[in-house]
Order: sequence, then C-alpha cells, then structure tokens
Amino acid sequence: MEYEFAGIIVVVLIVLAISLSFSIGANDETTAPLAAAGTLKFKLVLIFGGFAIGFGTIFLSRGVASMVGEKLLGPSIQYSIWMLLSVLISAIIWLVIGSFSGIPLSSTHSLIGSIFGVVIVYAISKGGINPTTAFNNEKLFGVVLSWFLSPAIGLLVTYGIFKIIAYFYLSRLKGLNRIEKSEKNFSLILVVAVFFAEIWVGANSAEALGILYALFDNGSISIEGYYFFVVLCAITAFLGLYFAGRFVIKNLASQLTEARPSDGFIIQLSSAIILMVCTVLYSVPVSHSHVIVFCIIGMNMAQKKEVDYKGLGKMFVYWLLTFPIAGLFAGILYYGFVSVGLY
Amino acid sequence: MKANSLNNTKYEELEKKSPDELTNMFMNRISGQNMKLIEGLEFLIEEDFTKFEENLKDVIKTETEVEIKKAFEAKLWKKRTVFAKADRLKVFGKINDLKNIGEFMANRLLLYKVVFPDEKFKLRIAGILKSLKLISTNISEAVKSIGTDLEKAHDFCEIVKEERRKMRKEEFALLKRLYNYSMDYLSRTFLYLKNMIEDIMMMADHIKSFSEYIQFLATKYLIFK
Repeated sequence: MEYEFAGIIVVVLIVLAISLSFSIGANDETTAPLAAAGTLKFKLVLIFGGFAIGFGTIFLSRGVASMVGEKLLGPSIQYSIWMLLSVLISAIIWLVIGSFSGIPLSSTHSLIGSIFGVVIVYAISKGGINPTTAFNNEKLFGVVLSWFLSPAIGLLVTYGIFKIIAYFYLSRLKGLNRIEKSEKNFSLILVVAVFFAEIWVGANSAEALGILYALFDNGSISIEGYYFFVVLCAITAFLGLYFAGRFVIKNLASQLTEARPSDGFIIQLSSAIILMVCTVLYSVPVSHSHVIVFCIIGMNMAQKKEVDYKGLGKMFVYWLLTFPIAGLFAGILYYGFVSVGLY
Repeated sequence: MKANSLNNTKYEELEKKSPDELTNMFMNRISGQNMKLIEGLEFLIEEDFTKFEENLKDVIKTETEVEIKKAFEAKLWKKRTVFAKADRLKVFGKINDLKNIGEFMANRLLLYKVVFPDEKFKLRIAGILKSLKLISTNISEAVKSIGTDLEKAHDFCEIVKEERRKMRKEEFALLKRLYNYSMDYLSRTFLYLKNMIEDIMMMADHIKSFSEYIQFLATKYLIFK
C-alpha cells in the first residue's frame, strides 16, 4: 500500500516536472528579437526556438540537472519524494503569485530556495544531521555566487562587445542605406545567435530536470527512465514555446520592431556566452531572465541611453526575496509532511 | 491603349529602383516644383503675370508623382526586413506634404493678380523668397543625403533652421509694414498679401519641422565611437 502510494507521488512529481518544462517553453522570450527582425516567418521562429530549447534540454542539461538533483546536497542526504514534492509545490506557488502580481521572479531562484528550505527542515527534524553540513557548501556557495556574477558579467560582456563592434564597424556607417544593409546582415546572424542562446536556455533550465535527476538519484526511476523523461521534457518545452509562448513572443516582438537587429545580436550573444559558461564550466543553474535584463542594461549604458534604476532596484529586492521566501514556503510545507511522519 | 502601355513601362522602370532612389527622385520633382513656385512669385514681383501664371500652373500639375509614390509604397510593403521602413515612409510622407502645401499656395496665389504697394515691400518679399529658396535647396540636399551620409544631412538641416529663424523676423517686419499701409479701400490686396506671407511661412515651417525630423533620424541611426 505504502509502496503504491509512493509510486503515485513519483508519477505526480514526473507530471509536475514535465508541466514545469511546458511553462519554461511558454515563458521563453529568447526568440522575440528574431520575430521582430522579420528574418524568418513567425511560425518558423517558433519551430526553430522550440527545436533549439529541446536540443539543449536533451543533450546539454545533464551537468546542471545533476547539480540541482544531487551535488548540491551534503554526503549524508538524499532527496525523498516528499522533499521533492514540497520543493515543486512551493516553487510553483511562488511563481504563480509572482505572475499574478506582475512581479518578475526567477524560477531557478525559487527552486533552489525551496530546496534550501526543505533540506534545512529535514536536517533539523530528522536528527543526527548538522544543518551546516546538509549541503555541499562549496557548490551551494558557487550557485548563489553565480546568481550575482552572471548578470553582472552579462552587463560587462554586452557593454564590451557593443563598444568593440561600434568602434570598428557601426560608427563607420554614415548613411541609412549602409545602416539598413548592415542591419539586414545582422538580422541573418541574429538567427545563429538566437539559436545558440536558446540551446543554452534549454541546457540551463534546471527546474524540471533537477527534479527528474533527483528521482533517478534516489532510485525512483532508472537511468533509461530519466532520459526518457528528459526527452519528454524537451518535447513539452517545444510545445510550450509553440502553443503558449507565441503570445509572449508576439507581444514582445511588436514592442521591438524599432529595435536594431545588431542590438539583439549583441544581447543574445552575450547572454548565450554567460549561460554556456555557467552550464558547461560550472554546471550552475542561473536565471536566464536576470542575465538578459542585465545584458539589456549593459547595452543601454554603452549607448548612453536612460536606465530605469528605480525599476532595477525594485527587481533587485524581489530577486533577494525570492530565495528566502521560497525557502520558507517549502520549509513550512515540508514540515507539514514531516509532522505526519512523511520524510 | 498606347498611353496605358507607356505608363506601364514607366511604372516597371520605377519598380526597379530602390526605396532610396525613389525618395530622391520624388524629392527632386517636388524640389523642382518648389523652385517653380518661388520663381513664379519672383515674376509676380516683377509684375510679369503671364510667366507667373505659367509657373504656378506647373506647380499644380501632377505628372509622375503618383507613380513614384505607388512604386515606393509597393516596394516597402513587400519587404519584411527593411529596417527603417516606418521612417522611410514618414520621410516620403513629409515630401508629399511639401507638394500639397505648394499646390495649396499656387491655387491661392492664382485667385488674384496683385500689385505690390511699393518697392520696399517688393524688396522684402524678394528677401524672404531668397530665404525660402535657400531652405528648399537645403532640405532637398538633406533628404538626398539621408541614404548616404546622415551627418551631412544633419548639417544641411542646421542651415535650414538658422535661415528659418531669420525668416520669422522678416515675416513680422513685412506684416507690420502691410498693416501700416493706408489701403483699407483695397482690402483684397491686403488679404492677398497677408495670405501670401503666411503661406510662405507655412511652407518654411513645414521645411523646418521636416529638417528637425531628419536630425532626429540622424540621432537615432548614427552610432558614435
């Protein structure tokens, strides 16, 4: 009976993880500059973006998934299905609250915050585990540090790339004919930059895959099962982008019609570089939206355009609050399970 | 039938041109018409009514402008990736407005054959027309430089703005002079001259606002080191 019940929870977790993949695709705006530039037809943009995010999810996500699903924890701790359920529910609720109140929240930060909350509650309630050694502190510190460094480096990289391209090329274009021709070329290489960026968005989207990896790590699913669900996640991310993401992309693209494809190219290239380094070299899950926002700020600073520091300050507050609030949320939820003996 | 096929050939030729070439072509035509209008006013000063009427009728006449406009719009409509599509359309629209103002002026000026009150008035009108000629030439050069050198276009627009400032002073000097003539018994002359001065300034104001728009484009598209 207990075994059957655990099986049901595992199924619920898998369904939730796959749904999360759908929402990752649905909220992905990486392809918006491409839709705005008009290089490809809108449907092709969606297929192209969906394919790239799926490719990244299937072939390049293992490092980040294992970081979230295994390596973040200390040697004496392994995720239980109740811990994972608390983590997922908390992360989803916090994101829903964010969406309804119009607050830009990072799903990555809320997931890691939730993991932090449940693990601390587990360590305290289980006994015999020191909360300070419940995590692989070095890895946890690396993840949190990357959340601050990735946007900051994104800003600097964008600023630097723009200044170099502007100095050697863009500033030499004097007439609208040459500018248009150059932007047309940029809109072509934007296709490559967006594809590149979208692959790393898929690879770094740890939310769903981390949960699946944890299920594999605790023996709930086999390695074949894990890969099967990874492919399923990739397909649902594709479907999410194609069927639900189109509205977000269309909306953003309509606001970007005046934007220069060269700006889009530099921003996408910079964010892709940051995501790639975070994924390949450090396997740390970072917030793609935070990276892209700071890349845009870097672009505005390089072009001496106005930066909304007030809005930025507000975002920074939400950014700082996401981790502890998601942690608290998940901790309370998990404590509820623990209090009825479900560890 | 023959005329129709001739028009088709002309349109096909226009279709081969780029949006920039079509804009320049349109600007050349409208600029030519503006020059005709100014020249016509100079004939009016000289009281050569025949040449005055000839010139103004030329301004009203519409020949290939519609074809150029159609070819230009079709060209932009088809292309999805023309980056500055909206701005190019706006520039074209502003040139078209120049034509409309010119036509409106010509129609109003043809309503009556005026005789100027005195030589000083004629001289002042000639001065203001010289300025109008200068700003018309410069706006035309600015438009033609948009495609090749926005910095140069920006400089042409500076000249336009400076000259238009001078014209404003001249406008009020002229109006003051006009209001102080004792010619209430000749109210048609008064009205005609007042409208003429105001129409010249309307054209100058449009050229000035056009030049500001071109300067905005230069700021928008140029990237500095």
